[in-house]
Amino acid sequence: MSKRYQSHVALDRLDLDIHQGEVFCLLGPNGSGKTTFIRLLTGYLTPSSGRLTVAGRDVTADGLAVKRMIGYVPESVPLYGHMRVEEFLRFMARLRALPHAAIDGAVKRVVELLSLEAVVRKPIRALSRGYRQRTALAQALVHDPEILVLDEPTNGLDPRQIIETRALIRSLSGHRTILMSSHILSEVEKTAHRTALLLNGKLLGVRAIAETPDLEAWFLSVT
Amino acid sequence: MRSLVVLFRKELHASFTSPIGYTVATVFLLVLGYTFSLTLFATKVANLTYIFHQIYVLSILLVPVLTMRAFAEERRSDTLELLLTAPVPEVAIVMAKFLAALALVLGMFLGSLAYAVILGLFGDPDWGPIYSGYLALTLHAGLLVSVGLLMSSLTENQVVAAALSLGTMLMLWFADAVAYLLPQPLEVFVLNLSLIGHFRPMVSGSVFLSDIAYFITLSLLALFLTTRRLSER
Repeated sequence: MSKRYQSHVALDRLDLDIHQGEVFCLLGPNGSGKTTFIRLLTGYLTPSSGRLTVAGRDVTADGLAVKRMIGYVPESVPLYGHMRVEEFLRFMARLRALPHAAIDGAVKRVVELLSLEAVVRKPIRALSRGYRQRTALAQALVHDPEILVLDEPTNGLDPRQIIETRALIRSLSGHRTILMSSHILSEVEKTAHRTALLLNGKLLGVRAIAETPDLEAWFLSVT
Repeated sequence: MRSLVVLFRKELHASFTSPIGYTVATVFLLVLGYTFSLTLFATKVANLTYIFHQIYVLSILLVPVLTMRAFAEERRSDTLELLLTAPVPEVAIVMAKFLAALALVLGMFLGSLAYAVILGLFGDPDWGPIYSGYLALTLHAGLLVSVGLLMSSLTENQVVAAALSLGTMLMLWFADAVAYLLPQPLEVFVLNLSLIGHFRPMVSGSVFLSDIAYFITLSLLALFLTTRRLSER
C-alpha cells in the first residue's frame, strides 16, 4: 500500500501484518510515515494504491464497519473544549452507536478505568494535559473496541503520566489489538510486543521485542 | 439517522453556548426593530415587504459569521479527525451542521413574526405576501447556510471562510446587473443565477416553482460539494 501527495511519497509500498491481540508499535523519526499509516488505518485518509484490511474488511470499501471496530487517539489529542468530560464521553458513545441502555455503564467503566472521577463534571478546556490525554483515551475505549490505535500516546506527558500510560497500554492488550506509534526506543521496548521501523515512508524491518535484546543496535544497523 | 440526530444536538448545543450566535441575533433583531418602527411610522402601510428585504440584506451580511466556524474551527482544532474517524458518513456530518445552523438562522427570523402580529392586531395586512415572504426567507436561509458551510469546508481560517461566503452571496445578488453586460446566451444564464431576481417575486406574493427550484438546487449543490470536500482525503 502507498500514499502519495502529488510528488511526495508519504508511504512507499508498505507491506505489513499486525496480529490480533498484540501491542504493535510503529517506530521512526518525525516524518517517517507513522501518522500517515495510522490515518489510513482509521479511515481518515485513503490509500493512493494498494489495499488495507482490518479483520478481513477493506478499510476503503467497508469504512464504517472498520471504524466501529477501532478506538483512536490522534497525536494532537483533539477534544471539544466546551463540553464537560462526561458529556463528551456520552457524545462519543452515541456517535459510535452504542445502545442507549448501555451508555451509562460504558461511560462509568471508562471513567473508572482512566481515573477520571475527579474531573468528570469539569469542562474539557479546564483540564491539564494529563487529564486531556486520559479523556481522549476514555473516548477511544468507550465502545470497547477490538482495536485501539494510539498516535504518540505519551507525547507531552510528565514522567509519572508516561509510566501510567505505558502500564495502561499493557493492561489493555490481550483481548484487544493495540497499534501505537513512537519515536522513543525505550518506550517501544517497554510497551510493544513487535515493532516496525519506518524511515522516509519505507518499511525497514519488523522485529519481535522479545527476540531483540538490543533494540538500539538493531535500529542503528538498519537506519 | 441516529448519528445525524447525535451530531445535530451537538451542533445545536455548540451554537447556543457560543457568544457568536447571541451577538449576531441581538444585532439582527435590534437593526430589524429599528427599521420596522421607522418604516411603519413613515409609510403607515400594513405590509412586511420592506422588512423582508431588510432581513434579506442583513442575513447576507450576518449568516457568514455564524457558519464560518462550522468546519474551519473543527479543522483548526483537529476535532474533524475525531468526527471523520468515527463510524459516521460524511453526509451526516454535513447535514447535522446544516440543520443546526439553519435552525439558528430561522430562530432569528422568527423574531420578526412579532411585526406580523403587530400588523395583524392594529391593521389589515394582506397575509398572502407575508406567508410567501417567510417561505422566501426560509429558502434564502437554506442557501446562505449551505454556501457558508461549503466555504468553511475549504479553509481552516474562519475569517477567510466568512469573506468567501459573503463574496459568493454578493456576486449572486448582483448577478442580474452583471448579466446585462454579457452576450447571449450567457446573459440569460447569469440572469437566472440572480439571487434577488428569485427572492423579490416571492416576497411580493408571487410564488413560482422556478424560484423555489433555484434556492433548493443551489443549496443541494453547495451541500453536495461540501460532502465531496470532506471525502477528499
